[in-house]
Amino acid sequence: MFSSLRRHAAVMLLGLALPVALAACSAPGGDQGDTNKTDGPIKIALVDAQSGQLSSLGAWELKGARLAIDEWNAAGGINGRQIELGVFDDQGDPTVGTNLARKIASEGYIAMIGTAESAVTIAMAPILRESKIPNITSGQSPGLVAVKSPFLFLNGPTSVTYDETLAKYIVDGKGLKNIAMITNNGGYGKGEHDAFTKSLQARGVKPIEDQVVTADQKDFSAALTTIRQKNPQVIFIGAEEVQSGLIVKQARDLGITVPFAGAAPQGTPVFADTAGTANVEGTIVSSPYLSNEVSEASKKFAAAYKAKFNEDAEMHGAKAYDGTQILLNALKTSNVATGQALADAIRATKYAGLLGDFAFDDTGVGIFATRIGTIQAGKLVAAG
Amino acid sequence: MQVFLQTFIGGMSLGAIYALVALGFSLVFRTMGLVNFSHGNVVMIGAYLASTFYLSTKLPFALAMALAIGGTGLIGVIIERVLRPLENKDFDLMLIGTIGFGIVLEAVAIIIWGATGNAVPNPVPTGPLEVLGLRIRTYDLVVLAIAAAAAVLLVFFLQSTKRGAAMQAVAMDHEAATAVGIHVGRSNAIAFMLGAGLAALAGGLVGPLLYVNPTMGGALGIKGFAAAILGGFGSIPGAIVGGFAIGVLDAFTAGHFQGYSELVTFLVFTVIIMIRPTGIFGERTVNRA
Repeated sequence: MFSSLRRHAAVMLLGLALPVALAACSAPGGDQGDTNKTDGPIKIALVDAQSGQLSSLGAWELKGARLAIDEWNAAGGINGRQIELGVFDDQGDPTVGTNLARKIASEGYIAMIGTAESAVTIAMAPILRESKIPNITSGQSPGLVAVKSPFLFLNGPTSVTYDETLAKYIVDGKGLKNIAMITNNGGYGKGEHDAFTKSLQARGVKPIEDQVVTADQKDFSAALTTIRQKNPQVIFIGAEEVQSGLIVKQARDLGITVPFAGAAPQGTPVFADTAGTANVEGTIVSSPYLSNEVSEASKKFAAAYKAKFNEDAEMHGAKAYDGTQILLNALKTSNVATGQALADAIRATKYAGLLGDFAFDDTGVGIFATRIGTIQAGKLVAAG
Repeated sequence: MQVFLQTFIGGMSLGAIYALVALGFSLVFRTMGLVNFSHGNVVMIGAYLASTFYLSTKLPFALAMALAIGGTGLIGVIIERVLRPLENKDFDLMLIGTIGFGIVLEAVAIIIWGATGNAVPNPVPTGPLEVLGLRIRTYDLVVLAIAAAAAVLLVFFLQSTKRGAAMQAVAMDHEAATAVGIHVGRSNAIAFMLGAGLAALAGGLVGPLLYVNPTMGGALGIKGFAAAILGGFGSIPGAIVGGFAIGVLDAFTAGHFQGYSELVTFLVFTVIIMIRPTGIFGERTVNRA
């Protein structure tokens, strides 16, 4: 009986290890393909979560990038060459991401769009740097800047900008000093936690409660009850869309009535749906793209997006659209350069996008402003 | 004190869900000696079916749940039927077969419903009850009541019906059971069907608490599996106690260890299992394969 039990255990372990092993096998080494072809389509890779809990981000990103590329292709491509978008699913998993980085290098992609998850992008960065593949990410963690890769660019502001704007509005503008924090310990949540704490510190404010949850925690009773007892005026939330929604829903059930404040995820429909529309009323959001009505360009983008995908555009799609436009502009000005020359061209690109005016610095960040909006009657509207 | 009790209440409602998941694991294991690794994914399918019936066809929640349980039970029967040729031949292949089914179910869910998932609104719209400064969600009470009813029905079925007794007999000695005219295959099919039905119940109930997406089965499956082991794998009362234990343990470690809660939960779990390798209700009724 015991030997058979042991055999069982071995098979179970094998079973658990199998998907990991299979994923590892799919990486065909790091050898670089011929990236200097001058005919045929221009190959750009999009790496994002197309499955898993972060797949809504991946789906939005893909739509934004697809829209930009289709517009360029319809206008004749670049130097008469069509642009081909290869889509890869990283499942929101850094390990899968590193395998994909090798894969796109070996398959001759000259640039990469994505990912939307900072942790995955950070994991991929060293391989992309080695292979000299420029990468425009939608991540916003300050950790992306800390990588110091000359091939890594951000299509939006970092958490530092989001949270500085938010702290300015809450502390300086509204005079709220009793602030509680709840953040997760994943790549995004950690970045938010550190950036917001720093912004508060600069104003001499110490959060009255600082709760950290794990990235896949589902029950927040302990953290939220502790927060409720401290009677904060506002609660800062640093977690992805779904988890943020669950936190707000449970907070309202526990009788917490004060508004929540946060960055990009709190402005998304997934957050509002998960929490319930009534529960998110009054949420303070720091975002570079508050709504589709902010400018002529965003109205045009939103209309094209709606026509193509039959759904309303939102911030992540807009960010990916901007990032892809910047890449395509750089490809055009550099006559479809690759490697270092393409990275230099991206850095030199000045672009008036949906999020604002991009001008990249040495850290790969091109935009340094967000705006504050609040959710009113289920819609995100500019505050003040 | 208030934090303590509120944390306990929060842990109980997810604990009830884990208990239902653990019941499904244990039921199949005690009948066949098989760990059904696709169980977490079956939970996910149940959650999707229930939420789809509830949201898109606007059926009442109870009816949507009943349909989901039926549909998912059918999937359980199909899984058993496909794996049946392996029964008594190669158990390890059967085990891997269930893992394969799990991957297939997740892929099918992505094809049918997309990878994004959806939120399920609370079917019990009344606000939380306020008792001595504690807030108790009415929906949590519903979850606990339904889980309790399901457990009672299951125990009744196993102990007081002929078919249930036959399943117990197969669990103890399938050759002797065959000799007295019990259809082992049918008994296994019923175990799989009930297990899948319990999974659908858990999935349907957890939908409004969480967010329904194709990968939700992973975390629920692992916690439910841990609950079954903790209570004593194969034991029905063990699954229930184990479920609540894992739920409450999880809630408290979240409060005290914050970012390290997952680590602490499973460390505590490991220590308990080292002290009592057969779990709390440590019966080893099953000796197959």
